[in-house]
Amino acid sequence: MSIGDRVDVALRPIATVLCFLGAAIASAAEVEVFDLPRLMQLLAATPAAEVSFTEKKFSSLLSEPVVSSGKLLYRRPDSVAKIIETPRKESYRFERDVLVLTRAGAEKRIPLSSQPLLSAFAASLRGLLGGDLALLRNHYQLSLQGDEQSWRLDMTPVDEEIGRYVQRITASGRAGRIGQIEVGESSGDRSVLQVR
Amino acid sequence: MANSGFLSRLTSTAASRYAVALICFAALALFAAKTIRIESDFTAFLPPSTTPEERLLIAQLKDGLVSRLMLVALQGADEKILAQSSRKLAERLGRAAEFEYAANGSLNQFVAQGEVLMRHRYALSPAVNAGTFSVAGLRAALDEQLAQMTSPFGALSRTFMARDPTGELLAIVRQFDSGAMPALRQGVWFSADGKRAFLIAQTRAPGFDSERQEQAMVVVRKALAEESPQVSAILSGPGVFAAESRQLIRRDAERLSLLSALVILAMLIFVYRSLLPVALVSIPVFLGLLIGVLVVNSLFGSVHAITLGFAATLIGEAVDYPSYLLLNTAPGEAARDAARRLRVTLALAVLSTVVSALALTLSSFQGLAQLGVLTMVGVLVAGVVTHFLIPWLLGDRVLAFRRLDLPSAEFLVQSRWPAVAAVLAVTCAGVLLVQQHPTWWQRDLSGISPVPPAMRLQDAELRREMGAPEVSVFLASRGNSQQAALQAAEDALPLLQSWKQEKLVRSFDSPAWYLPAAATQRARLDRLPESAVLEQNLAQALRGLAFRQDAFQPFVADVAAARTAPPVTPASYAGTPLGAKLSALVVELDGQWLVLTPLGGVTDAGKLTQDLATNPRAQANNQVVDLKQVSSDMVDGFRREALAQAGWGAALILLLLTAGLRSAKRTLHVAVPVAAALVLTVGLLVAFGERLSVFHLVALLLVLGIGLNYALFFERSAADAEERLRTRLALAVCSTSTVITFGLLALSSTPVLHAIGSTVALGAVMALLMSALWARSRAQSPTGARG
Repeated sequence: MSIGDRVDVALRPIATVLCFLGAAIASAAEVEVFDLPRLMQLLAATPAAEVSFTEKKFSSLLSEPVVSSGKLLYRRPDSVAKIIETPRKESYRFERDVLVLTRAGAEKRIPLSSQPLLSAFAASLRGLLGGDLALLRNHYQLSLQGDEQSWRLDMTPVDEEIGRYVQRITASGRAGRIGQIEVGESSGDRSVLQVR
Repeated sequence: MANSGFLSRLTSTAASRYAVALICFAALALFAAKTIRIESDFTAFLPPSTTPEERLLIAQLKDGLVSRLMLVALQGADEKILAQSSRKLAERLGRAAEFEYAANGSLNQFVAQGEVLMRHRYALSPAVNAGTFSVAGLRAALDEQLAQMTSPFGALSRTFMARDPTGELLAIVRQFDSGAMPALRQGVWFSADGKRAFLIAQTRAPGFDSERQEQAMVVVRKALAEESPQVSAILSGPGVFAAESRQLIRRDAERLSLLSALVILAMLIFVYRSLLPVALVSIPVFLGLLIGVLVVNSLFGSVHAITLGFAATLIGEAVDYPSYLLLNTAPGEAARDAARRLRVTLALAVLSTVVSALALTLSSFQGLAQLGVLTMVGVLVAGVVTHFLIPWLLGDRVLAFRRLDLPSAEFLVQSRWPAVAAVLAVTCAGVLLVQQHPTWWQRDLSGISPVPPAMRLQDAELRREMGAPEVSVFLASRGNSQQAALQAAEDALPLLQSWKQEKLVRSFDSPAWYLPAAATQRARLDRLPESAVLEQNLAQALRGLAFRQDAFQPFVADVAAARTAPPVTPASYAGTPLGAKLSALVVELDGQWLVLTPLGGVTDAGKLTQDLATNPRAQANNQVVDLKQVSSDMVDGFRREALAQAGWGAALILLLLTAGLRSAKRTLHVAVPVAAALVLTVGLLVAFGERLSVFHLVALLLVLGIGLNYALFFERSAADAEERLRTRLALAVCSTSTVITFGLLALSSTPVLHAIGSTVALGAVMALLMSALWARSRAQSPTGARG
C-alpha cells in the first residue's frame, strides 16, 4: 500500500461527506425556488380530477350568502365542467371552444369566443386545473405568494373590458391541490369556492 | 366696309388664315378650361324614378341607411392584434367628425346604447303587463335572480339587478336578436374563420357624395395606419363604391381620351405621311370635341366624368369626315371642289349619326342625355368644319400626299363563299336571338350601375363572411304622421313574428321595437303600480328570500320615475347606433311618413304580399317592398323607353335617307347590310354571354349611324376603278379609327363605357364587312348593278 493509497483512503469519507452536503444544499435551493413554473408543474401533474366544492356568493343585495354545491371535473387537456347540484341542478361544461350550458334539462351551446367574459372564466378554470401558464397569462396578470405548502395566486384580468366586471381571481392551495378560488367582482360582490 | 376689306386682306394668304384659326382655337380652349365643371355623382347614371316605390329605392340608394354604411374588414395579422385594432379603430372613428358611429360588436358599445334602453325600459318592454308587478310575478322574478347569483354570467346581469329585477332590459334586447349577427371573437365581430375582423361605420355624408365619402375613407386609413400599421384594411359599401368609381371613372376618362388621341394621331401620320393633312384632319375633331363639351356644360350645368370618357370615341367618329374628304379628293382636285362633289354623302353621314344620337339626348337618364348631346354637337360641328373650314383654309392649294396602297382582296370578290357565310351567320344569329329571348336582357340594376363588378363581388363576399347579407326586402308602413306610421309598423309585429316562425323571413328589424307608438308606450306606463303598492308587493315577495329588504330600492325609484316620464322619441337615441338607424328607417317621403322594417332572408316576397293582403290588422297601411323587384321593373321600364326611342331614331334615319337619296330602293340597299350587321352584333354579344342593357341599346343606335355611313360611302362608289380605290382607302381609315376608339373604350372598367365600347367596336367591324360584301354582290349581280 503506497502513501498515495493511504491518503486516498483517509480522504474518501471526507469526499463522501462533501458530496452529501452538496446534494443537501442543492435540494434546499430547489425547495426555496417556488415559482410559477413550479406551481404549474405541480398542478399539471394530475391528468384527471373530480372534486366536490361548496361556493358562497356574497353580494350587497343579499342579507346572507347564497350557498351552492357541486362538483368540479377536469380531464386533460381542456375538458372542464362545473356541475352545480344544489340549490338547483345546473351544469357548465367547457368543451374546446364551446360552453355547454344545461339548465332544467335544456341544453344551450355558446361559443366562448363570443363572450370575452366567458372565455376569461374558462381560461381561469382550465389554466388552474391543468397548470397551463401560457393560457393564464393570456388573460391575467399573475402574482404568486407563499411556498409549496401554502400558496396564493392572484390573477388580475388583462382586458379592460373584463376588468369592468371582474377585479381579481385568487386561488390558493397546497402543492398540486387547489383549496379555494375566490372571484372578486368590480361591483364589490364576491364568490368563494371551496374544494372539499 | 373697311372691316370686310380688312378681313379679306387678312385672310388672303394661307399663313394668315391659319393664324386666325389658331387664335380662335386658343381662345375657345381657354374659355372651355375656365368654364367647364366636372362632376361624378354616379346616380346620374341610374334611371330616373317615377313611382313612390322607385323614389324610395333611389332615396335609399342615394341617402338611405344602407348607402351610409361603410364596411371595414381588417386582416393580415393574428386574431388578437386584429381584435385590438378593431377596438382602437372603433373608438377613433366614433369620435371622428366624418362618422356617426362605428360598431364592432364589442360590449363597450352595447353599454352606451344599453343605458338608453335601460332608462326607457318600461315604455319599451313588450313583457310589461299587469301581472309583472303582482306579488306572484315579483316572486317569480326574484327566484330567477337568486338562481342567477351562481351563474358565471352573473357579473354581467348583476350590474342591472337592483334596478331591473323583472328583467325588462333582457326582454327588450331579446327581440333584437335579428339572427344575422357576425361571429364574435375576442369580443368583436370576426369572419367565421377568424382571419378578418369587421367594423361597420355610418358616415355622416350620404352615400352618393363621393367627395366626402373619400374623405371618410382617408380618415379610416389614416387612423388604422397610426394605430396598427401592420394591419391592412378593405373598405366597402355604397359610399366607397361612389368614391372609388369616381376615381376609376376619372382615370378611365383621362387615360382613354389620351390613348385614343395618340393612337388616332399615329394612324393619321401613318396614312398621310405629311404634317399638313394630319393637322387639317385634327381641326374638326378638336373643334367638335371642344364645342360639344361646352354645350353639354351649359345645358346641364356640369359635365359628367363618364361623358368625358365617352368623348374619346367622338375623336374616332369626328376624324372620319375630314379623312373621307381628303382621301376622296382626286389628284389635282381642289378641296372645295371635292367638298361640293361629296356634299350629299357627307351631309347624310353626319345627319344619320346626329339622329342616332338624338335618341340618347331624349333619354331621361341624365348621364345618357349628356352623351347624346356631346355626340350630336360634336359630329355636327365636325361635319360643318369639314365642309366649310377645311376648303377655306386650303384655298386654291391642291393637297398632295402619297396615298396608301391597300392590298386588294380580289380572290374574295371572285368567291361566293363569303356572301354565303354571311347569310348563314346572320340567320344563325337571328335564330339564337329569337330562341333565347328574353333571357338576354339585363334586368339587374347593379348590372347597369357604374360600379365595377369586381368591387361588387368583393362586397358580396365580405357580407357573406360577416353573415350580414344585403337586405333588399322591406315592410313599408305608411301614415299621415310619424305616429300613425309607427302605429302601422307596430300593428304588423305579430304578422312579422309569424313569418319568422314559418321561416318565410329569417330575421326582421322593426323600428317599432325601439320606438313604439306613443299610445302603446302610455298604455304600458299606465300599468306601472304606484310606489306604495309596489313596495308592499315587493316586501311580500321578498319574504323568506336571501335578498336584503332594501336591495331593490333602485327598482322602486325607477318605476316611480317611469310613471311620469315623457315618451321615447327618436331624439332619445341621439348619438347611439340606434339613433342613426332610426333616422334612416323612419323617414318622410312625399309628405307621408314611412317606417321601414328590413326583412332578412326572404325567399318569396310574393308569398309575403299575399299573406299581408289577408291580414286584417296590418293590411291597410303596410306594404311589402322588394327593392330588387322595384329595380328590375325600373330597368325594364327604362329599357322599353330606350327601345321605343331607338325605334323612333331608326325610323327617322330611314326617312332622312329616303329624302336624301331620293329613292326608296337606294335606301333599302343602304339599310339591308346595316340591319344584318345589327343582328350579327347582338347575336355575337349574346353568344359571348353579355346581357343587353339600355347602354347596349343606345350603342346599337350608334352602330346604326356608323354603319349607315359605311353603307352610304359604299353605295356612292362605282364611278370608276380609281374612285373605288379611293373610297376603299377612306373607308379603311374611317373604320379603323372607329374600331380603335370604341375598342379602347371597351377596356374601361366602368360598365356604361365598356358596354358602349364593345358594342360599337364589334358593330363597326360587322357593318363594314356586311357593307363590303353587299356592295360586291350587288356589283356582280346584273339587277344590283342597275340599282
